[in-house]
Amino acid sequence: MSKYELPNRRDVLKCGTAGAAMILPWPKFGTQAFARSTLTLADIGVGDTGDWLKFSDQSGYDVNVVSMGNAPSAVVNQLLAGGGRTTFNIVNIVGGMQEPLVQNGLIRKLDTTSMPNWAANTYIGSYLSKGTPGFDFIGYKDAIYGVPTVLQGDSFAYLPDETGNLDSYSALFDPKFKGFVSLEDNYTTAGQKTALYLNHSGQAKIANPSDMTPEEVKTVIDFLIAKKRAGQFRVIWSSFEQAVNLLTSKEVYVMDCWEPMVFVAVKKGTNARYADPKEGYLLWAMAAYIVNNPQLSKEDLAATYNLLNFMLGGWYGAKITLLRGYMTNPLAAPYAASHPDEFSAEEAKRVKEITEGVKLKFQKGGTWQNRWPTHVDVYEEEWQRFKSA
Amino acid sequence: MTKRPLFGGDALVRAMILGLPFAVILILIVGPLVLTFVISFWQKTGFTMRPDLTLDNYAAFFSGVRLEVLLRSLWVAFSATILMIVIAYPIAYLITTRLREVLVRPVLFLFAVPFLVNYVVRTFAWSDLLSRTGPINSALIAFGITERPLDWLLFSDFAVYLGLITAYMPFMVFPIWLSLSGIDRRLVEASWLLGEGPFTTFRRVILPLSLPGVIAAAIFGFVGAFGEVAVSLILGGTGYQLLGNAIQSALSVLNYPLAAAISSVSTLLMLALIVAWYQFFDLRLMLGKIMMRA
Repeated sequence: MSKYELPNRRDVLKCGTAGAAMILPWPKFGTQAFARSTLTLADIGVGDTGDWLKFSDQSGYDVNVVSMGNAPSAVVNQLLAGGGRTTFNIVNIVGGMQEPLVQNGLIRKLDTTSMPNWAANTYIGSYLSKGTPGFDFIGYKDAIYGVPTVLQGDSFAYLPDETGNLDSYSALFDPKFKGFVSLEDNYTTAGQKTALYLNHSGQAKIANPSDMTPEEVKTVIDFLIAKKRAGQFRVIWSSFEQAVNLLTSKEVYVMDCWEPMVFVAVKKGTNARYADPKEGYLLWAMAAYIVNNPQLSKEDLAATYNLLNFMLGGWYGAKITLLRGYMTNPLAAPYAASHPDEFSAEEAKRVKEITEGVKLKFQKGGTWQNRWPTHVDVYEEEWQRFKSA
Repeated sequence: MTKRPLFGGDALVRAMILGLPFAVILILIVGPLVLTFVISFWQKTGFTMRPDLTLDNYAAFFSGVRLEVLLRSLWVAFSATILMIVIAYPIAYLITTRLREVLVRPVLFLFAVPFLVNYVVRTFAWSDLLSRTGPINSALIAFGITERPLDWLLFSDFAVYLGLITAYMPFMVFPIWLSLSGIDRRLVEASWLLGEGPFTTFRRVILPLSLPGVIAAAIFGFVGAFGEVAVSLILGGTGYQLLGNAIQSALSVLNYPLAAAISSVSTLLMLALIVAWYQFFDLRLMLGKIMMRA
């Protein structure tokens, strides 16, 4: 056959026969090569260490990380319509989504005994136990559905060179910073922080900022609209890069945002701080759920539990704490400190500092973020009213 | 006369050639639109929805804040389209009448260059350029034009219009140019020979004959601006809501029937626009002239 000649039927058959001959001596080739020996982790961009060799070496399973949105619609859509139910093993998102996910049969109830590191995770008992608001991030109706992978308390960022030291959410609404304030485009974060402030300052009585009544939501939104019309807010941000850029360019001085944004801004040379507000924090946790794939084999299910257990472990926890600046699990800091071959002394110190810092936030308390409040439709409608005002 | 079999020979080939794109359009475009319209009458039940024949979603849309968003979207899309035509028409006119033949294609290519960059990235670039500490404000201060940064450059109506115009105006140059270049030069010359000046010739000959292209361009611009999400989100500031954002927001709480109702209203509006265009202008006329010219 010349270089440019198309293969004829005989050539194709020859190649096929040769290929089959190579495969036949290994009867399990078909199942090993084509069955799933890879676990797929759908993640919102927080839980990927970028290196899963440690898990692959011990389990024999590769980990394929795919990106997924954190909005309830994105999660449900990707699992229901996007084929995620049959392709994802785990979804690692901000917790609190159990109700829609369970009601749609998209996630599995967890057998915590299948994860040895579960018992070692004292944070579950301290912050996420049954009967506390934290439980809503991993459980639903007394059953456990999510493995906590990250815990954090959010407040707001500020530029001390422009504002001085700030320790209250009142800074977000202080006319002194008019036109230099930004809020997140999210009613469960900006809305709840505003509710915290209104409660604390005595401007409104909100029984539970985590789950407001329609009247309370309206009170919060009326307040925000008044501030918006007075020119208090420069922009409502909607992406990580946009928020970091707002700080580094000094477009805003005070911003309702996430702590990693401050880390990135500081790395870029901006003197930014994350506030320790007297009103408390917006507490939240990420949860990794096992996707309810009815075709999942016993072996793959065991491997999925193994991956969840790995995510509850010290190495994974320390890596994520270093990468994202969030507290992960109680094994993270001791692991980093006792493995100088994997974590430098400086890194181990950083993991410990971050962990202790977040623990203090949880001690101080505040309000737990509620991703799916009872009157979520009212929240959405009212948030539209604020944005359109 | 022998009767040819319905799907024999050429007819079968023709049916296959025409049937494939028709099927693709039916499955990928018409199908989802019909489904969206059907779902707009369904009922939201908790986290899912159930088939129904209710007008609740339309009532929620027309009675709530989203109606304001619809009206604003219409106004923004309409006014931005007018601005875009005002800019695109002279450009297309100059390309058609003043540019040497050999330069036409390179210049038209230049208008396509911005589309090589993702439009979200382009929009973010505008936010950098227009920020308080961005190069435009820095230059204005450096040249003594202003003492303080101009706040209204970013997160304002100005920024949204700028984002829309730069995103969609280059699209509009092409159909207007097509329309203008298809005009029979003899008609223009006849107008001159009959003693009309350039302005009257333009007003009574060139402009009317180029209207199909202008309307096509207007539809490109209007539809794009009306359904825009990123520009309003990135450059709009304090929650500059357009209809696309309202749909997104309804989806965020899994309110698919409401999102479908908003989408259906939006689609029907666009459909009405296209039907009106089709009624008033014959697209084949414009394309035919271009093809004859070629």
